Amino acid sequence: MNSAIQLYATTLLVYLAVNLIASWALDIQFGVTGVLNFGFILFQSAGAYAAALLSLGPAKASGGFQQYFGGWQLPFPLPLLGAVAVGAALGWLVGWVGLRRLRGDFQAVVLLVVSVVASLVVESLPGFLNGDAGLSLVPKPLLGLAGLTGVSYAWAFVGFCAVVCGLVAILVARLVHSPYGRVLRAVRENDALADAMGRSSSRARMEVFVLGGALAALSGALLVEFTTAWAPSGWLYPETFVYFTIVIIGGRASLPGVAVGAALIAVGIQQAVQLFPIGADATVLASLQWVVIGILTLGFLWWRPQGLIPERVRRFGPTPAGSATRGGEVQEGVGP
Amino acid sequence: MLGAFGFGLVTAAILSVSAVGFTLQYSVSNVLNLAFVSIMTASGFVAYGLIVVGVTLWLAIALAALAGGLLSALINWGIYTPFIRRGTSTFGMVIVTISTALIGQNLIQAAVGPGFFSYGVVTGRAVNLGGLVLTADQVVTIGVAVAVMAATYLGLQYTKLGRAMRALSVNPSLARACGVDTGRVVAVAWLASGVMAGAGGALLFLDTATFSVTTGSYFLIVIIAAAVFGGVGSAKGAFLGAVILGVATEVAGAYWIPELKDVVAFAVLVLVLLVRPRGLFSEIATLRQAVG
Repeated sequence: MNSAIQLYATTLLVYLAVNLIASWALDIQFGVTGVLNFGFILFQSAGAYAAALLSLGPAKASGGFQQYFGGWQLPFPLPLLGAVAVGAALGWLVGWVGLRRLRGDFQAVVLLVVSVVASLVVESLPGFLNGDAGLSLVPKPLLGLAGLTGVSYAWAFVGFCAVVCGLVAILVARLVHSPYGRVLRAVRENDALADAMGRSSSRARMEVFVLGGALAALSGALLVEFTTAWAPSGWLYPETFVYFTIVIIGGRASLPGVAVGAALIAVGIQQAVQLFPIGADATVLASLQWVVIGILTLGFLWWRPQGLIPERVRRFGPTPAGSATRGGEVQEGVGP
Repeated sequence: MLGAFGFGLVTAAILSVSAVGFTLQYSVSNVLNLAFVSIMTASGFVAYGLIVVGVTLWLAIALAALAGGLLSALINWGIYTPFIRRGTSTFGMVIVTISTALIGQNLIQAAVGPGFFSYGVVTGRAVNLGGLVLTADQVVTIGVAVAVMAATYLGLQYTKLGRAMRALSVNPSLARACGVDTGRVVAVAWLASGVMAGAGGALLFLDTATFSVTTGSYFLIVIIAAAVFGGVGSAKGAFLGAVILGVATEVAGAYWIPELKDVVAFAVLVLVLLVRPRGLFSEIATLRQAVG
């Protein structure tokens, strides 16, 4: 295989791993617990910026090429871990303000507004994170170690991403299938009931907000260490919606389903547009890509709301008729 | 200072039309319509097209409002109502509305492109109110907003339909039990909300010297802030929230970084959420689903 194709393949595989981690993170929040985090992309972005700041070194060292606050040059795993910590902290902060006693749908929109405001702030303050242009020249971790450069380095990075992705998969699967996972699903199905059983639904929401924020940040950090650049145009609020589409198409609370969704949407659709035959200009194609994603979401919600690979619902004993409300709409907290 | 206050009045006018339209439809139909901003954008471009062919500003705004109303009613009839009939919950509906918003927004973008547009310079005499100078288009904006707000208030307060809307927003099942034709009232609410979105969109583009497809997205920040500030679901609260935030953002923008004036609205939103999550007026409060 020539090296250009290999680089293309490694890029796709890294994207896939990053999107898998991010989609599972959103799935814990939205699919399992029923929290509509419409500001999701903000957490991925925070992780990317954090990892970039922790590996770029002071801004002065680049000769004023780009401006940002702080800037440290930490050895390899620390920027990733720092990003995870930033994501978790941001999850706590945003959750503390955003998850207050607002009705769930308004809560979602407030979170959407949070992400719009965040990108507005970053764009308008050039000294903060280099404004519109974004951060670039983020050093690739351990480049040149053991003679790894170019294509061989890219494959090593794919391997590293695969390991991280596997660890996240194990973590998420164990969490979802644990007794704690049952608490989360109880919060989704009927939060008042969960509260009545002594499991605080607001605490559970907060916990998945922090955990999801940390994992989203990890995905962003991995991405920025591979692509070496991160700018506001890459995390506009509709990007959150890509992950929602992935979860809805794959199957809410279904880890394999979400993985299929990530492969189809994040890699499939995004690449399909690049290979689009007609010579339409790029901005029109980008718009139509969003239209397709929107129509796919509506179509799945209408014809197959349970997704491609539905969540396996365990039942204990016979269920009384009429209580079997699963397998369809977004059902959480409909209330009496 | 006085100049910033004048700009504040204009922003407050646009924002009140938009926020009240958004809130009115939300409280009556119980659907959080994120496509509201797309309707604003679409109507704004309808007005642009009309102005380009030579229609006068007043007529263009009126027709944009009409287009917004039709679009809103059409979206409700064609997309939202079928989903609601299927029993999609309020949470599911937010995803339906954001999908619709995304589709709408990008269809407009595919049609008009990413460039910037302008309604052109509006001729007419500037008005001087004791040192407060307003240009002709600003006077038009405030005039339209006052007319729409007055009509909304009178309609809600004194007509049978308005009473039915208020009843529906407080307790839908009781309203139905009392013989209110809920389907029709909800349909009218979508139409009225769309008219306000249309007028708001045209006025927003008139006020923004140059506008693009994404101009409306940032306006969503202030609309949501105004709606939550006044109390989710309260039209009166949304109006007051809009007036206060409209003036506050412009005055703050004059003294601070102008691009970040919307962030002021956001800061107020966060403060309200921390201190008084139910907003200033919480007629239907925050946890209405327990009633509906």
